[in-house]
Amino acid sequence: MMNPVQRFRLGEKEARFRSPFFFFRILLLAFFVLTPFMFRSFEVLDVVLKIIIFSALVASYDVILGYTGIVSLGHVLYFGIGSYFVGIFMGKLGWTSYGHLALAFLIAIVISGILSVLIGLFSLRIRAIFFAMVTLAFMEFTFILSSQLRSITGGDDGISFKLPGILAVDFSYGKLLGIEWTGRLMSYYLILIISVILFLLMLRFVHSPVGRVLQSIRDNEPRSIALGYRTYLFQVIASSFASCVAAVTGGCFAIWVRYVSPDSSLSVPIMLDVLLMVIVGGMGTLYGGIFGAAFLMVTRAFLPKLQIIIASLLPGVPFAIRLSERWLFYFGLLFIIIVYFFPKGIVGTAQEIFSRRKNSQD
Amino acid sequence: MTPSPIIETKDLTIRFGGHVAVDHVNLQITPFTFKSIIGPNGAGKTTLFNMISGQYRPTEGKVFFKGKDITPLSPAIRTQLGIGRSFQLTNVFLSLTVLENVRLAIQSQKDIGFNFWKNYLHFSELEDRAYEILKMVLLDTKWNVPASGLTHGEQRKLEIAILIALETEVLLLDEPTAGMALEEVPSILELLKQIKNRRDKTILLVEHKMDVLMALSDSIAVLHEGKLIADDTPETISKNKEVQEAYFGGGRSRG
Repeated sequence: MMNPVQRFRLGEKEARFRSPFFFFRILLLAFFVLTPFMFRSFEVLDVVLKIIIFSALVASYDVILGYTGIVSLGHVLYFGIGSYFVGIFMGKLGWTSYGHLALAFLIAIVISGILSVLIGLFSLRIRAIFFAMVTLAFMEFTFILSSQLRSITGGDDGISFKLPGILAVDFSYGKLLGIEWTGRLMSYYLILIISVILFLLMLRFVHSPVGRVLQSIRDNEPRSIALGYRTYLFQVIASSFASCVAAVTGGCFAIWVRYVSPDSSLSVPIMLDVLLMVIVGGMGTLYGGIFGAAFLMVTRAFLPKLQIIIASLLPGVPFAIRLSERWLFYFGLLFIIIVYFFPKGIVGTAQEIFSRRKNSQD
Repeated sequence: MTPSPIIETKDLTIRFGGHVAVDHVNLQITPFTFKSIIGPNGAGKTTLFNMISGQYRPTEGKVFFKGKDITPLSPAIRTQLGIGRSFQLTNVFLSLTVLENVRLAIQSQKDIGFNFWKNYLHFSELEDRAYEILKMVLLDTKWNVPASGLTHGEQRKLEIAILIALETEVLLLDEPTAGMALEEVPSILELLKQIKNRRDKTILLVEHKMDVLMALSDSIAVLHEGKLIADDTPETISKNKEVQEAYFGGGRSRG
């Protein structure tokens, strides 16, 4: 005899490959895989790839903010560590083999893990706001360090570098399936694969027993403690896991742009972008990162173009052209509209509507 | 010969500013018995409770569990040692489902707390057990509802379900029937009676409604203005002059 819970879980399991959510995931993956075939312009590829990287970065931030309820303002620090290790290995040290690339990732992961455990042990036991300030301070400190230590980091100018083998700019395999397989394309697929793996890892993490405890901490920390969970240890685990993921995304970003500098990989504006993306996408959803990143990246890339389009469509109307110059204003407007109509973010609100409809059907 | 107490407090005292909320309380709780702490509002019952479960640190005095000094230990560790508690003000995970609330309590007693690579549903026996406990408190039909969607009385039941799920040797219940609808109270009392009759748990219960306790308790401790004024069987307590004074007469005459 099965109890109702077991019956429900079995039903869930059987419907796994029939749910709309499953199709949505397949569709999303297919879109990313086929992007190079669908769009030939580098510009589009660049935007899509940045969406991929930032999706993973934002999801890792969501593990801390949305699932555990800890506010970190220094998450981009680990993104920067990942970027810089790739940059320093490839550019400064000139160790440009695949092995060295892998080693750069590995060291970045280990250092990020250790650093975040130290910061966590040191500051998570006290108050949430304290953790936010400490992480922000660490990021600022590293930002200054990276712009001052010119001999290692290249200062504000950063480091440009070449990548090994099939990832190099001048690599070309020739034409296959109608497109040219350049180093760029190879990098695109490498980063896509890594990001998908990171995403799967994060999904596993939030659905594990640890992940469930994290959600209980977000909900009601004192109660979680009274259940016997040493919550700060769980918070440290979550924050160091997320930091390691962020380090990998940072390394991927460096591979894509083949350049690393304080402004491009380690600055407060990037942190603000990540915050914006997680809010737009929806906290505590993981998939929200994809929508948040897409929203920000797409509007940023294409809103400025509005100006050119309007200018060509209405050449004699200076008022329209002047209006279209204010693309940042429209960006702000869009952001307000999204936050207003999707209070839990795009994915969060969609989930809510979906589950409400399902409940009313029952 | 009485067995050595499972929980013992020695001169337990806490001051908030100048106010002495609990004043040199020496309490002994015999294993596998049902003890109630009663007293008028503001007598320091919940405060004493919070010191036993670890939410408050005493200003003075010590708490012993099985003869071991646990005064410096955190609430999380005390729960792991075997002291579980429920809260007077409903304190559950509101955004999680009723089942998940109970499942988390069971998980904390298992060795899988730090597992981060397997899906939590892999450990299906936890959900099975959680469902059984929900049946005991008559919440099984609501298992998939978020705890925020329960009525106040149902949340109280969930609170008790969580405590049962912890499987701790000592159960600390802080006014389990507070704010419950009258018709729901008997089912909770029946549940407490069942737990008591199994004689494998030590129960310490705080209440200010005396009628609830007379039939259930093995012994009753009376707190008044932070001091322990009596600790005896229900029959003796109900005849005790000092208790009558403090509990019924005292409060009224002082207005």
